[in-house]
Amino acid sequence: MADLGYAAIITAFIISAYCAVAAFVAARARINELWLSARNAVFVTFGLTSLASAALVYSFFTRDFSIAYVAEYSSSDLPASYTLAGWWAGQAGSMLFMAWILSLLSVIVVVQGQRQNREMTPFVSAVLMGILAYFLGIIAFASNPLEKMPLALSEGMGLNPLLRTSDMFSHPTTLLLGFSIFTVPFAFAMAALISGRLDDWWIHSARRWTLIAWIFLSLGNLFGMVWAYTVLGWGGYWGWDPVENAAFMPWLAATAFLHSVMIQERRGMLKLWNMVLVIITYTLCLFGTLLTRSGMLSSVHAFAMGAVGPLLLALTGLVLVGSLVLLWMRLPRLRSEHRLDSLVSREASFLANNLVLLGAAFAVFWGTVFPILSDAVRGVKVGVGPPFYEQTMAPMFLALIVLMGICPLIGWRKASPENLARNFVYPLAVAMPLALTLYLVGVRPLYAVLAFSALGFVAGAILLEFWRGVRARHRGHGDSYPVALPRLVWHNRRRYGGHIVHIGVILLAMGIAASHMFSTSVEKTVAPGESIEVRDYTVTFRELKESAGSDSLRVTAMLDVSRGGNDAGTLEASKRFEGNDQQPVTDVGLRSTPQEDLYVILSGWTDDGKAILKVAVNPLVMWIWIGGGVMVVGTLIALWPDGRRGRRLPVLERVPVGGLEVGRA
Amino acid sequence: MTDRHEKSVPQTEFPKSRSGILSHKRFLVVGLIVLSALVYLGFVAFRGAAMYYLTVDELQARGDAAYEEQVRLTGMVAEGSAEKDSETNTLRFALAGEDGTSLPVVYSGAVPDAFKQGSDVVVEGSLKLTGTFEADTLLVKCPSKYEAETNSEAAGKRD
Repeated sequence: MADLGYAAIITAFIISAYCAVAAFVAARARINELWLSARNAVFVTFGLTSLASAALVYSFFTRDFSIAYVAEYSSSDLPASYTLAGWWAGQAGSMLFMAWILSLLSVIVVVQGQRQNREMTPFVSAVLMGILAYFLGIIAFASNPLEKMPLALSEGMGLNPLLRTSDMFSHPTTLLLGFSIFTVPFAFAMAALISGRLDDWWIHSARRWTLIAWIFLSLGNLFGMVWAYTVLGWGGYWGWDPVENAAFMPWLAATAFLHSVMIQERRGMLKLWNMVLVIITYTLCLFGTLLTRSGMLSSVHAFAMGAVGPLLLALTGLVLVGSLVLLWMRLPRLRSEHRLDSLVSREASFLANNLVLLGAAFAVFWGTVFPILSDAVRGVKVGVGPPFYEQTMAPMFLALIVLMGICPLIGWRKASPENLARNFVYPLAVAMPLALTLYLVGVRPLYAVLAFSALGFVAGAILLEFWRGVRARHRGHGDSYPVALPRLVWHNRRRYGGHIVHIGVILLAMGIAASHMFSTSVEKTVAPGESIEVRDYTVTFRELKESAGSDSLRVTAMLDVSRGGNDAGTLEASKRFEGNDQQPVTDVGLRSTPQEDLYVILSGWTDDGKAILKVAVNPLVMWIWIGGGVMVVGTLIALWPDGRRGRRLPVLERVPVGGLEVGRA
Repeated sequence: MTDRHEKSVPQTEFPKSRSGILSHKRFLVVGLIVLSALVYLGFVAFRGAAMYYLTVDELQARGDAAYEEQVRLTGMVAEGSAEKDSETNTLRFALAGEDGTSLPVVYSGAVPDAFKQGSDVVVEGSLKLTGTFEADTLLVKCPSKYEAETNSEAAGKRD
């Protein structure tokens, strides 16, 4: 099976390389037969990568420990579900997983291309298959998951116990999907540059694909946060680890693109800028793939060395330089159709949002790669820890949140005083008293007051928008209020989907700000019967319990919880030791309420039965997960296909010709 | 679909700004102000948070300059050196450098799961005049997704 799978990888590599060339030549010279052949090659490549993946999965389930990768990531007693996870648990397998997704995406693009953008699809396929061929080349010659060892092992090494959680299915898969899907908008952008057809055709497809990729990337990051918070027991959901940063940077750039693309759709501006954002986003995705595999940075995640790092670095460089050269050649065709009229306009506020988002991405980038840079330049490694990120991100995200309240409501082109008054008086009327109240009841630091009143302002602005829409439907269509709301959202999916995403962001930001600024924790060694008090919680340690499984040992601290004197149930915080090397895994004891989380880690115990417990109260954490969910739902609503094929109407033109063009320089 | 609501945000027509150049300059100025604010922010935060990433050998090579300076140190937990005092919840171990050097480290706080004798760890803290490195953060290179060390382990097991 392994040989068959490897043959499939090699063949897929050759065919995808052929396909990239054939599709390009066919598109350039307009040879239809050649395109048909290239199109078939796309389907064949998908079949072959599926076959290779199936061979890998089959080898896992048949416990074929003659394959090095299978032996490294599974063992005969590994449950079936985690055996499947072996596919993406390691570096070689995850590359195959990405290649398989990429080939599936190529099929979708080609099938869709039969209906829309017919002449452009060959260009898009050429780019996609070119990148896929590169990946398959790496898999075939530098990191083959189906590689056999001279001697079969009698037993595999098993999957690291830390990876044996349900998060192993949600987090890596969504993240890898997100990274892979960003290849598609990039391919559309490159197709536009290569073909020279730089009108709006690519931007619609690029926007939709970016939204899809953005959902997966958001989910990937969120699932990673849940994992770190509940299982890994690191005491938090985010640690500014280089690998976390690797997934966060493209998310920031993609978010910038999703906003500025609207300006191009509505106003024909920022064409060059949007190209740049697509390129940056994809380069950051490749860079992230590289970071997790190259061993360039010291991180809590350990990395594989080997030839894969340099090969991915070469691809990242190739993509960046190649796309910038293409961009340079097409510069004259990327002129804006209009110019910015006023600083007080939606366009300007979107530009500000872009500036801050990219500033944030750059700060993260700078912090992440600085150790490498300083090592190269001065020979010493200098780096920054979480304080750097916290100090830069907090003000930037505060600015972003305020902009989030302003952007969707301010008028296009040049906002009138009436427009400003209409949309912002009520939200300000919410925010000002809120700020004052927070200050007077003694909320400190001032940052917190600022953050929460900014969130109040945005929430007010969005709710006002919903209220106006509902009222208009009620009056115009005679809908009753409860019916008007879903109809309103459904008939303006993009607009209200966007608002719902913003509501999600507010909830998320609320949770992050509160849990970051107001969590309290106590670490203490307690004997049975003793308790730890944090805020109004009293956690009483009853006893330590040991339970042994077939291959595992679990030590659990049994706890009684009371809150403000009232009984609030029991809680268990445990450590389990699993697998060959008895690696401990901490299972956090978590009591989650909308108001706050009681979070207990069993960090150790003494021989005489005392437990070392870390008890923390983290306010509003649940809202981070709820907010994340709302964001995803909002994005899905905005993304839902529009039966009417209705395009956004361009903003009415009253601008004299010959205006200054912004977005060119 | 002409929703009434769509019209509720009027696209106000306003007199054109006087000159294109003027508005261009204005954007440039505002953009530059925002940009310099961002750069300043980054600079200040960076200066406050920057620290050396060193190995045990590099730290010891720094001589007297090494004391009382916040650094991030990487090394290996020397075999058999780690002992945990559960009463005070402190962990003591020796961090081994490359050529036989080692440095006593003391850390109090939650110990990551992957911590064990022989594992590669990252500590942040400072070297005290007593010669002990007081760590306030302890990270273990977690054998997660794309691990490197299994190769050597696997090689060992294959024998």
